[in-house]
Amino acid sequence: MSFRSTALLARKSIRARIGRTVAIAFTVTAGVSFVVGSFVLADSMRATFSGLFNELVSDVDLEVRSAEAFAGNSERDPIDASIAEQLSEIEGVDIVEPSLIRFAQILDEDGELVATTGGPALGYSYIGDAGLQGITIKDGRAPIGGEELVVDKATADRVGYEVGDIVSYLTDAGTHEGELVGTIGAVDSDGFLGASVVALDIPTAIEKFGSDGKVDAIDIGLTDGADATAVQAAIEDILPARIEVITGEQLADESQSDVDGFISVFGTGLLIFAFITAFISAFIINNIFQITIGQRLRELALLRAVGASGKQVRRMIVSEAFVLGLVATVLGVFGGIGVSRLILFLFNQAGAGFPDTETILKLRTFIAAAVVGLGVTLLSVFVPARRASTIPPVAAMRPELGFEALKKKQLIIGAIVAAVGVVMLIIGLFVQPGPALSWAALAGAGALALFLGVASVSSTIAAPVTRAIGWPIAKLFKVPGVLARDNVARAPRRTSSSASALMIGVALVSAAAVFASSLRATFTDILDNAITADYIVTDPNFFGLSPAVAESLAALPELEAVTPVRGIGAQVNGDTKGFGAIDPKAFEVLVNPDLQAGKIAGLRPNEVLIHTDPAGDLNKGVGDTIEVLWQNGIEGTLTVAGVYGDATFGNWLISLDTLELVSDAPARDFFIIGKLADGVSAEAGDLAVAAATADFPQADVQTNAEFRKSQEDQINQLLLTITILLMLSIVIAILGIAITLALGVFERTREIGLLRAVGMNRRQLRRSVRWEAVIVSTFGALVGIVLGTFLGIIASLAVPDDIVSKLAFSPMIIIVVLVFAVLAGLVAALYPSFKASNMDVLKAIATD
Amino acid sequence: MGVFGENNADVQYWFGRASKLSPMNTPLPSPAPTGVDSPTAASGTVDASKIYGIGDAQVKALDNVTVSFQAGQFTAIMGPSGSGKSTLLHCLAGLDTLTTGATFIGSTYLASLSDKELTELRRTDVGFIFQAFNLIPTLTAEENIKLPMMLGGETGDAAWIDQVVSAVKLDGRLKHRPSELSGGQQQRVAVARALASRPKIIFADEPTGNLDSETGAEILDFMRRAVREFGQTIVMVTHDPGAASYADRVVFVGDGKIVGDLADPTVDQVIDHMKQADS
Ligand SMILES: Nc1ncnc2c1ncn2[C@@H]1O[C@H](COP(=O)(O)OP(=O)(O)OP(=O)(O)O)[C@@H](O)[C@H]1O
Ligand SMILES: [Mg+2]
Repeated sequence: MSFRSTALLARKSIRARIGRTVAIAFTVTAGVSFVVGSFVLADSMRATFSGLFNELVSDVDLEVRSAEAFAGNSERDPIDASIAEQLSEIEGVDIVEPSLIRFAQILDEDGELVATTGGPALGYSYIGDAGLQGITIKDGRAPIGGEELVVDKATADRVGYEVGDIVSYLTDAGTHEGELVGTIGAVDSDGFLGASVVALDIPTAIEKFGSDGKVDAIDIGLTDGADATAVQAAIEDILPARIEVITGEQLADESQSDVDGFISVFGTGLLIFAFITAFISAFIINNIFQITIGQRLRELALLRAVGASGKQVRRMIVSEAFVLGLVATVLGVFGGIGVSRLILFLFNQAGAGFPDTETILKLRTFIAAAVVGLGVTLLSVFVPARRASTIPPVAAMRPELGFEALKKKQLIIGAIVAAVGVVMLIIGLFVQPGPALSWAALAGAGALALFLGVASVSSTIAAPVTRAIGWPIAKLFKVPGVLARDNVARAPRRTSSSASALMIGVALVSAAAVFASSLRATFTDILDNAITADYIVTDPNFFGLSPAVAESLAALPELEAVTPVRGIGAQVNGDTKGFGAIDPKAFEVLVNPDLQAGKIAGLRPNEVLIHTDPAGDLNKGVGDTIEVLWQNGIEGTLTVAGVYGDATFGNWLISLDTLELVSDAPARDFFIIGKLADGVSAEAGDLAVAAATADFPQADVQTNAEFRKSQEDQINQLLLTITILLMLSIVIAILGIAITLALGVFERTREIGLLRAVGMNRRQLRRSVRWEAVIVSTFGALVGIVLGTFLGIIASLAVPDDIVSKLAFSPMIIIVVLVFAVLAGLVAALYPSFKASNMDVLKAIATD
Repeated sequence: MGVFGENNADVQYWFGRASKLSPMNTPLPSPAPTGVDSPTAASGTVDASKIYGIGDAQVKALDNVTVSFQAGQFTAIMGPSGSGKSTLLHCLAGLDTLTTGATFIGSTYLASLSDKELTELRRTDVGFIFQAFNLIPTLTAEENIKLPMMLGGETGDAAWIDQVVSAVKLDGRLKHRPSELSGGQQQRVAVARALASRPKIIFADEPTGNLDSETGAEILDFMRRAVREFGQTIVMVTHDPGAASYADRVVFVGDGKIVGDLADPTVDQVIDHMKQADS
């Protein structure tokens, strides 16, 4: 048999089994599509955002701003606006454009807050069309003076504001109004990625935003032919301490790396799910090849009997797989482009406000497609092809395939792989060697190994467990149920591998569920024990609240204690840490931080409370001093005044007084907590708090119970998002069960013919196939729940105690997953059961 | 081929439809009992034709066959390969449909039945034994025997089933799966299954074709006992004159037609008859 005959046989074989070939190709294509889609989306978004940001900063030659002592802080201190006047006097400086972004909330005609579509509510300073900020006028003109303003076109359209309308807005300095003279957008878009924006000219902005005469940064455009380096040097000379001047290129690089950071988080997330999908597809592809080659063993043995060598048989199978993988890869690339569009669409439907992206196909994307499409397919046929090439020619004469025997060697290997996976997972999550990426990769690889191992080992329990699952079905549905149960149990290896894909999907969902439940339990525990606050005031805009809110609450006689919580970054021993700032006296009343030594209430300026972890790491106790470098470059010495054991409010706490000493940044409260005074009823308290915050509609006041509910909702939302992202892999898993089942039905053609001949009706046959699918999917879900619970426990234990310190399980989710598994089985059985019941009895009997 | 050749298929199609719609238009031998002594037809065909393919590729597997099988009799069907024996059996058992003509079991004409009713008929009134692969591999011997009753949600006549099972002489192998039984044992289970539901008639297509002569003889003996002792009706296709000699009657088929009929045959008579047919 020459290579030509191999090719001929492969071609004929693909053609003869067109249905199966299409099914396999579809599975591979789906896997490739998702991987390609993730890459395309990440690359396209990076390109689009880079373009957007480059355009934003393209006209800026120099920028003056406050210096940062170290990288990685969210906000810089503002600088005095008066510097701008000095700058404009420097030789070579053409445009001087101070910029200011603050909280500003647009109100509708009834004075109600206008909700954004996912972003913050921003107030911008706006110079004009010659501006350097990349903001463009959509309608009307730029605002000039204190009576005029512009808002972003997306929000104006949404609320129904038109040029000429009077628009009210709320800032830290109170409620203001102005005439709408135009609408704006970021470069080409109508909006600002879901944020709402009201823009004023710069003097007005400084006044109305209450920035205290300060601006965030000053952008500079040079006169034609001016020497940038010389101008930069001249500016440096007049700048006060801790203020720097950087070039436009530096600024562009910084924003580029910000974009990269955001995209890579987003892209990594997508890729993780793409990888899961590819992994699950690989499982199914492998399983299908195993079965189809198993079914062809007799035909292959016949080939051997007429003189084909083992190598030729192997080559035939591999070349079949190659053709299939190639076609699927090509289709997958196209599918991937569609998937990327679909994901973008879904995100935008959810209000993400991503701009329309061009489609970027990089070489890397094609390589990934080939690795998943061709690589996985070829890898999947490797073992079955070897098995096929070693079958003796006499197998052609052997009668029907009997019951499947489990191979001990495979089980031992499976157990070892699973054990190695657990070890890798534990080392990765608990020891955390090396940088985050490396230990996360180690843990991920461990999880994969665990899945592979469990998929193999689960075949040992497949027979008894599916018998147990099938017991009520057999009792209820008599012969069809009995047949369903026995057919599942007769091929434990096939059952476990066809259930494995669903097992992995369910395991990931259950792991996320356990983690989320534990997160929730920890949180509830904190609210029950550590925090005794009755009110929690937050800012849904992530901007932080004006200190006026806390002051107004603190003045209430109905409240016994009120403290805002602020934050600042600082370096201790070269490591960046987050410091919380609180009112110590109120904090002691409101929070029980499990004080181990020292005091809270008397916390003085330049004193610090530290958690037991850093206390142990640094070997510091009460009375010791710690050198810190604050984020704005100020150096300081803090004296440890107390050591506490509950990390709910972080590891480092200073008083608000200390914060004021070391920071120039405008004070923003992350949140405010307060407690009712003795003898004040909840109703009276609610009324008083509502009245005190009436002037600050951006402040979201929640009672302890409401806060708890909203946090739980957030956790549920997270769980739902993960589940939705895992949905594609679960759909592929269901497809896998359907294909396996269809192949099984095909394999049992004669048996089905016989059943029909002795009087089984179509309905009974359909029912039998249906319950077979349900038993398989339930088995997969059960193993998945057990495995996922294990993974969830490990993940919960690995996370620091201030996030998850309790373990909790949700029986509700287990029930939902099981119900879903039954439904998945029913869906998977649709086609195979139809196929089985429509089989021609005579043909079925005549088949051999 | 002219106009006639092409129209032929249409004519047959319409004729077939007509006879299916009203089987009473064709004169039939009465399937109902006519007297105490006169033998009753358990099953049979009237003007049965089965045509595979169209045009030049047409094969007439059955050509106007009219035959009936007496209740309580063991009938053998013989004939050369490709003569239409299996086709006849399949059509009689409701596994296949005729192109024209009619088949009946007891007093029921199969053409008048829906797919669902046919299935029900196969379950209750017909037993079928194939040459091989008669048993569901996941079920035990006992479950295989009771399968038709279980499918109908019935327990069946327990005493009768016990009698059948003990007659099969499986001694302690009842809880075994088919793969753990010998070929002869498997065929015995198949016969027991066919008997267990007390069908009106059992069709067997070369039930001993895969067995050695000694094991085959056991099966044939068992089938003959079923007819003698339990009054079962059996129609069996065979190529083996020895097997045919177990029957009460042999019907010879050639080229889709009935070409001979022999009562109480001996091996030699059967062989003679076959030689005649060949020449
Ligand atoms: N599905 C079919 N399509 C076309 N022709 C068929 C089909 N089934 C049977 N035939 C033809 O019908 C004729 C009768 O076939 P049948 O199987 O009834 O013969 P048989 O007498 O049982 O033969 P054997 O002793 O070999 O089993 C043969 O010529 C056969 O080729
Ligand atoms: Mg035949």
